[in-house]
Amino acid sequence: MADSPLIPFIATITDIVDETSDVKTFQMVFDDPAVMEAFNNKPGQVAQLSVFGTGEATISITSSPTRNGILEFSVKNVGQLTTALHQLEIGSKVGIRGPYGNHFPYHSMQGKDLLFIGGGIGLAPLRSLIDFVLDASNRDQYGKVTILYGARSMDDLCFKRDLFERWCRLPDTEVLTTIDRPEDAWTGHVGFVPAYLEEINPTPENKIAITCGPPIMIKFVLQALEKMGYTDEQVITTLELKMKCGIGKCGRCNIGDKFVCVDGPVFSLDQIKAMPPEY
Amino acid sequence: MPVKFLTADKLQIFIDRLLASSTVFSPSNQPGNVIRYTQANKPEDICIDYVNSDISPKELFFPQTEELFSFDQTDEGIDLRVQTGYKPKVIFGMRACDVKALLTLDPVFNSQWPDPHYAKNRNETIIICLACDKALSTCFCNTFGIDPVAPEGADLVLISYGSGYIIEECSYTGRELRELYQDLLTQEYVHLEKIKEEKRKQLSEQFVHHVSPSKAKETMDNNFELPYWDEISRKCLGCGICTYVCPTCHCFDIFDYAPEETTGSRCRCWDSCMYGDFTKMAGGHNPRPTKKERVRNRFMHKIKYHLDRYGIEGCVGCGRCIVKCPVNMDITSIITDLGEVK
Amino acid sequence: MNQSFNSLTEELRSVAQELLREGKVNMFIGFGQGTLTARTTPLFISKPDAAAALTWSPFCSNNLAGYLLDYRETNETIGVLVKGCDSRSIIRLLQDNQFPRSRLVVIGIPCAGLLDSEKVTLELGPQTEIGDVTDEDDNFLVSTTTGQHRFAKKDYLLPKCLECIDSNPVICDHFTGKKINIGEVNERFVEIKSLEALSPQERSRYWDGYFQNCLRCYACRNVCPACNCRECIFDQAGPDWVSKRNNLSENTAFQIIRALHVAGRCVDCGECDRVCPVNIPLRHLNQKVLKDIDELFDAPMPGTDLEQQPVLGHYCADDPDEFK
Ligand code: SF4
Ligand code: SF4
Ligand code: SF4
Ligand code: SF4
Ligand code: FES
Repeated sequence: MADSPLIPFIATITDIVDETSDVKTFQMVFDDPAVMEAFNNKPGQVAQLSVFGTGEATISITSSPTRNGILEFSVKNVGQLTTALHQLEIGSKVGIRGPYGNHFPYHSMQGKDLLFIGGGIGLAPLRSLIDFVLDASNRDQYGKVTILYGARSMDDLCFKRDLFERWCRLPDTEVLTTIDRPEDAWTGHVGFVPAYLEEINPTPENKIAITCGPPIMIKFVLQALEKMGYTDEQVITTLELKMKCGIGKCGRCNIGDKFVCVDGPVFSLDQIKAMPPEY
Repeated sequence: MPVKFLTADKLQIFIDRLLASSTVFSPSNQPGNVIRYTQANKPEDICIDYVNSDISPKELFFPQTEELFSFDQTDEGIDLRVQTGYKPKVIFGMRACDVKALLTLDPVFNSQWPDPHYAKNRNETIIICLACDKALSTCFCNTFGIDPVAPEGADLVLISYGSGYIIEECSYTGRELRELYQDLLTQEYVHLEKIKEEKRKQLSEQFVHHVSPSKAKETMDNNFELPYWDEISRKCLGCGICTYVCPTCHCFDIFDYAPEETTGSRCRCWDSCMYGDFTKMAGGHNPRPTKKERVRNRFMHKIKYHLDRYGIEGCVGCGRCIVKCPVNMDITSIITDLGEVK
Repeated sequence: MNQSFNSLTEELRSVAQELLREGKVNMFIGFGQGTLTARTTPLFISKPDAAAALTWSPFCSNNLAGYLLDYRETNETIGVLVKGCDSRSIIRLLQDNQFPRSRLVVIGIPCAGLLDSEKVTLELGPQTEIGDVTDEDDNFLVSTTTGQHRFAKKDYLLPKCLECIDSNPVICDHFTGKKINIGEVNERFVEIKSLEALSPQERSRYWDGYFQNCLRCYACRNVCPACNCRECIFDQAGPDWVSKRNNLSENTAFQIIRALHVAGRCVDCGECDRVCPVNIPLRHLNQKVLKDIDELFDAPMPGTDLEQQPVLGHYCADDPDEFK
């Protein structure tokens, strides 16, 4: 029964970064190198993290597969399992099973300019693709990369190191950040993400927009993109539903006849529009 | 045509020997007159005088509670242990609808990311069916093309005839099993097809419902929003009985049982899409917030989603949800009503 | 007294129609024809014309009062049909402030007992259509497509109805039909007394046999008008007082918690017992509590009197016993 997909592999937390007051990024490494080797995740996929004695939760893999030998998960403290995760320290043991779900269509994105639009913890799944695209081994396959990211406040901005020290320094890469309300120490843009998007008004030409964030932000971002002339095929997002098994069996994450855990979480807007609105 | 025949008095010997040689599960009469599949230790445990069980035999393949593994956390690390105690078993007395239900569950558990817990139970179980002689007024397996006298997916079928049973073997395993009991069987010359036809005729007179799910599905294909769901769902209690007694429902929850914190087990346990918190997320958002969405999801799943996804219907017409629903939610009238939506 | 149920049905329909037409209620909750012999189904109507689909018969077993909880957060005024036992749950809900009296119109109907639909179906056959039913005091006369059948109440009533103490609703705004003179109430708690007489081992065997079959579907809770916690402890993610694992020990814990949780608030509507898919005699648990309430507190059946606070739900300064 060791081949049961419901049994996780043991991993160790090797690093923890406090992103915001309620988001931490955990770096994890499987104890068995062979498992690490075989894990083989693609940008946009998710995994089930276990804290033994508490249970499991579905968390998107934040790190790019180009970062060999480690996995990163950014976790917002919202429920029972995430609270338990937040209490763990470097060296703690956890369980991981996965990777699950489809992935961002990085093949069909080749040759295109990419516009990432994220809000809050929504940058976590996008980050796996951003780092994948920006990795030296892939960079020349993609056009310009624009990252538009916002959060409620300065404190709520995740991945500050990536935003302000890494991505913004790379060639042909633009990082635009915004916070909802003005703060003394903030010299950047103030306002909601969808409004900022309309301000910069990026042309849809040869572009793919990938967006992820709180439902309300997504709603207005999609409206804005439509206004700017983006077709539904040009817009990619991820859906988040309650999941338990991750492998299309527990029946929990269905939208119509699709299971988000195996058929998603990545969908283009035209795919989403073809589904019943149960997300 | 020559058939293998087991006389009624030999059936006793057959059962005695079966009990002595294997782990046998069969319908049994439980307190409160509830028919449920339990392990039979002696012949009296076995109840064959029943039309269909109250609780479906799905629980022998996908138990209500199943330990996936146990864990033990020490300073050295975590030790995961997987229980391997799956015993081969024989089920005596299943009905055609319930075997078909297994064929319905197979693609869920066996396709992409195969589930060895289910597969193990499935592969190591021999299924002996009893062909139906009677139908309940709630039975509508005929709707889904199920033949109650020739169950698809069985290993061995017992068809009552005269003073005993005609034994039909339907798989290699069934044949092997039959050979073990060769000494109990006699050879009779009967027109088996005619006997079956006779039985089918008798049964079809007892079927009350003659519904067409394809028309209902067509309505479902074209309409997600219908005022009908709002109306019909008001009476639902969200009690989940319909899903717990259903042989094809497969929703489950996964959780840790760890009163000692460092040691415990991870279990899976039946869950129901009819429960309000089934799809509710940790942050509070719920994609199916009211009974309307949940009732719609259950019936769309049975008639449409399962069929679209796996190419096999999600309902086998066992009628348990009709019998047991406290508010008389009746899937056959839902199929009829939806079929009439223009 | 030879009361015809069809004529009561007619009367009920016109009451419902009036209430809807005059806008006194936005919705009327009653019974409609079921899909099986001797079964009815809860019916929700909001248009006066739809009142024609209402029905009343000794097969109207559901307690409709619990549905009020679904309309707690709306602005709708709800008319709900209640029998005597159901009416006690209305008082229960009002006492717990679960529904505003101002948005509630109670339509009461006298009840001469409910027939056990399973037993009747067995007798009539599953495809029989039932026409009128006449109450002949000791029997119900049921006219069907296959002729007339007489069902003696003492053999065919639901057990709870044999011990009924409220044939007429204890609270209602509109009364349909004529009050029933209940006469002598049968001896109550007969079955409980025989259970009490068992040895602890025998009693444990009795309950274990049932509890091991409990599916933990919680239908007994969902149907209960006394179960109105916003979040039930059995649904709470943590701490898990009772684990979801289905086994005799957890099931027993569930059963005991449920029975004690509704103690003093259970109005003996019998719904939990009726809905249980594995026929656990839940009413025996509740009745043990009701018997104790009767004997130890000398208090009336819960839900009988709007002014009388539930025995276990209020504090009394001159309580003769020490508070321990
Ligand atoms: S059994 Fe009936 S009342 Fe209960 S959830 Fe199913 S449809 Fe609703
Ligand atoms: S939906 Fe109802 S009739 Fe169909 S298989 Fe399930 S329990 Fe049986
Ligand atoms: S209704 Fe019956 S089976 Fe369901 S939880 Fe209650 S006692 Fe258990
Ligand atoms: S516990 Fe049972 S009998 Fe008592 S009020 Fe609740 S459903 Fe009715
Ligand atoms: S999480 Fe179980 S089916 Fe998707």
